[in-house]
Amino acid sequence: MSVKEQESKSLWNHAWDSLKSDKMTVFSMGIVGFYALIALLSFSGVIVSDWAKEVGDSYGAPSSEHLFGLDIFGRSVVAKTAKATEIAMSVGLITGLFTVVIGVTLGSLAGYFGGKIDEFLVWFYTTVSSIPQIMLLISIAFIAGKGLFTVYLSLGLTSWTGLFRLIRGEFIRHKNREYVQAATAIGGGDTRKIFKHILPNVLHIVIINFSLQFQFAIKSEVILSYLGLGVQGVPSWGTMINDAKLELARGVWWQLGAATAAMMVVVLAFNILGDSLRDALDPKLKGK
Amino acid sequence: MDIVSYVTRRLFYVIPVLLGVCFLVFLIFNVVSPDPTISMLGKHATKSQILELRESLGLNKPLWLQYMDTVKSAFTFDFGRSWSTKQEIMEMIKQGAIPSLTVTFPAFILSFFISVSISLFVAFYRGSFLDKGTVFICVALMSISSLVYILVGQWFFAFKLGLFEISGYEEGFPYFIPYVLLPIIIWIILGVGPDVRFYRTIMLDEMYQDYVRTARSKGLSETVIMFKHVLKNTMVSIITYVVLRIPFLILGSLLIESFFGIPGLGGMILKAVNSSDFPVIKAMAVLSAIATIVFNVLTDVLYVVVDPRVKLK
Amino acid sequence: MAEKILDVQDLVVEFKTDRGVITAVNGVNFEVYKGKTLGIVGESGSGKSVTALSVMRLIPNPPGRVANGQICYRGENVLDIPIDKMRTIRGNKIAMIFQEPMTSLNPVFTVGNQIEEVLKLHQTELSRDERAKKSIEMLRLVGIPSPEKRVREYPHQMSGGMRQRVMIAMSLACEPDILIADEPTTALDVTIQAQILELMKKLQNEMGMGIIMITHDLGVVAETCDDVAVMYCGQIVEKADVKTLFTDPKHPYTKGLIESIPSFDSTAGEEKDRLPTIEGMVPSLFDLPEGCNFQNRCKVASEKCRGTHGEPKLEAVGSERMVRCFHPLT
Repeated sequence: MSVKEQESKSLWNHAWDSLKSDKMTVFSMGIVGFYALIALLSFSGVIVSDWAKEVGDSYGAPSSEHLFGLDIFGRSVVAKTAKATEIAMSVGLITGLFTVVIGVTLGSLAGYFGGKIDEFLVWFYTTVSSIPQIMLLISIAFIAGKGLFTVYLSLGLTSWTGLFRLIRGEFIRHKNREYVQAATAIGGGDTRKIFKHILPNVLHIVIINFSLQFQFAIKSEVILSYLGLGVQGVPSWGTMINDAKLELARGVWWQLGAATAAMMVVVLAFNILGDSLRDALDPKLKGK
Repeated sequence: MDIVSYVTRRLFYVIPVLLGVCFLVFLIFNVVSPDPTISMLGKHATKSQILELRESLGLNKPLWLQYMDTVKSAFTFDFGRSWSTKQEIMEMIKQGAIPSLTVTFPAFILSFFISVSISLFVAFYRGSFLDKGTVFICVALMSISSLVYILVGQWFFAFKLGLFEISGYEEGFPYFIPYVLLPIIIWIILGVGPDVRFYRTIMLDEMYQDYVRTARSKGLSETVIMFKHVLKNTMVSIITYVVLRIPFLILGSLLIESFFGIPGLGGMILKAVNSSDFPVIKAMAVLSAIATIVFNVLTDVLYVVVDPRVKLK
Repeated sequence: MAEKILDVQDLVVEFKTDRGVITAVNGVNFEVYKGKTLGIVGESGSGKSVTALSVMRLIPNPPGRVANGQICYRGENVLDIPIDKMRTIRGNKIAMIFQEPMTSLNPVFTVGNQIEEVLKLHQTELSRDERAKKSIEMLRLVGIPSPEKRVREYPHQMSGGMRQRVMIAMSLACEPDILIADEPTTALDVTIQAQILELMKKLQNEMGMGIIMITHDLGVVAETCDDVAVMYCGQIVEKADVKTLFTDPKHPYTKGLIESIPSFDSTAGEEKDRLPTIEGMVPSLFDLPEGCNFQNRCKVASEKCRGTHGEPKLEAVGSERMVRCFHPLT
């Protein structure tokens, strides 16, 4: 009867429905998917493997052939932007993965086991988060040298603190909930309780955090590249914007424009997606 | 328990964290880092030259001593001398603090009032086109790299339109004003996006609370509800958020100072990066951590003072 | 004959949801008299709280709205008046207390401040000192010991029962004609419940206001109400004075509710081993059945109830009572 229709759909079904229904969200998902596609194609060499090729005059203006013109070496800005997309998406992805792995592992250990382990991990977290992230990034990049790997490393090692706090908090909350006590009562061990019972309830935080980290990483790469600590040899949005320092004075805006636009669109999409995910997945917001 | 003992207890906890920070900085700069002398002396340096330099820089000391040096510097605020300018680092910091603050302090005050006002306004008209539009604009503003704002701002408003000084700085009030105007504006624009989003969220949270319904049932107008009831409840969160940002004011904005030629701490850090000036970067890392820790304790104390619900444990 | 101060006619309240428009209150009529208590009883979702909120025009719009009806306070339809005039009535002539005293008081203002606020708003002739004195008096009136000290305390420093007393003090500060109490004791311990209900009765005797008591608890109804309206799926299904309702319920739903009250005494010879319940569940407002809303849970339902004769109407049975049923119990 009608009562059965009201049966609670699982959180995920409900979330998916709510995500699907908002046009902006669907559009953002599409954008992210599109960027991911470009990144993959570029990574596998299917497109823009020849981004470094000189195809025209230095600082050629945008034309029908080269939508965003050419850079100082006569290379296509569109090609560079596409290649840079690969870099950006990889930075976002790897940073996100690092963040999730470190943050979730440490956070769940701290929250679940409590006691000395928690004290130590919280001290560690406080220590790392006391140094402003930009200082940490500079410090790590400083000693690790320039390059894409440094970008991955520095961002990965410094972005996990927010997630750690959230996960730890959730584990503390859930640890004493009835369903976990019930699991203990029927003989569930620690690992089982962590993985099977609590983690799924915490997944939504991870997803939301991942999408927000992604875009933060992309923006950070730009800063690192400006500082000369970032990507070398391959174009990234950061290096393209950095080049604009000299170009703007000559009235050349196309590289800046392309990189800014490309970055803005995907970061905006991730922000919208992150917000929608939060609205859809956060059980506390239900019923507003 | 009263405030004094609470503060003392909190400060006690600061020590292990500070030791941890020193350890982390020590780890990065004294342990993991490749030998800085090689880049300082160039490829053709002889072994004895390297050794001599390392000796003079204190790099040959046993590691634990180097760690103790780091800790000592954190407690005495004596960070030694810069490798490139040979100045006393603490002197450099003192000199650089003022220019940084001429940008960040006014920007901080202004953006606080602007952001809170916009958020109140937007929360009041929640759900309306104005609200959604503002949120979208905030998110869009946040999606553009700060580098772009600086580049475009400098090129367009200062260079092309000549409305502001392109770069440079002049000490003394009011001479620095034309040089800091554009940086201040850019700083405010950078901050408004995330601030408004945060304030708006907590204001909306409060607006759906039961006591708002009670206030309405007493016959209070929506304006009074917003500006008296909701605002006071959100003030706690706002204050803690704001106070935690203060350490960043001291750091200055690396990018803004670098582009606009402001001789502040941010610019100092960048110069240090470019000249491999270890001690300066180390010092700033430790100092900014100390500032963060201190202001964290401050917000905890403020929280207790401002929110009648929070009991001292 | 007691004075009629509130007359609600044909009240219809709708809510827009993702799945369409639901009618939370569907054609409700009742009156409130000075010095008397009207109980509105029902399960959650019956529309009783929405009804109460409508009287104060506190239905959030969007997503809700009053689609039809009149709410006449002393002859004037409050649904028609401008909102600032409504605000002069709220807290002043008609006041409300809510279910959760924990969260219904503002945590960052003292209780004294919150009582004085309503005095400042509606009794502008009072000076600051007079307001302060009156707020202490109100606390004393609702039975809070050492009110001079308590007045400077914050809500979190008080127990649930005391907070509810503060709410009552706040609501009665301007001596309203009507007090709407939305499940005032549901969140409180049983012993405190009794105290609060007694307090309300005592204050009603002293101040003479009419009370609308919203509750799902028939025990509360028996204790405090003079007249009762039973609501189901947004409609009143039975209206009677309290004695008649309990001794001679006419609607099967009412009977079911009364029977499901656990009692400690068993009538001579009767062994009660299972607590009788009403079978089935309340239908979703999105999916109400054709005909009588109660048909799927009713023991005496017949074909007539399934839609062939439309919906049953609220009709008088004898004098002074009404039932909405095709087969009222005898």
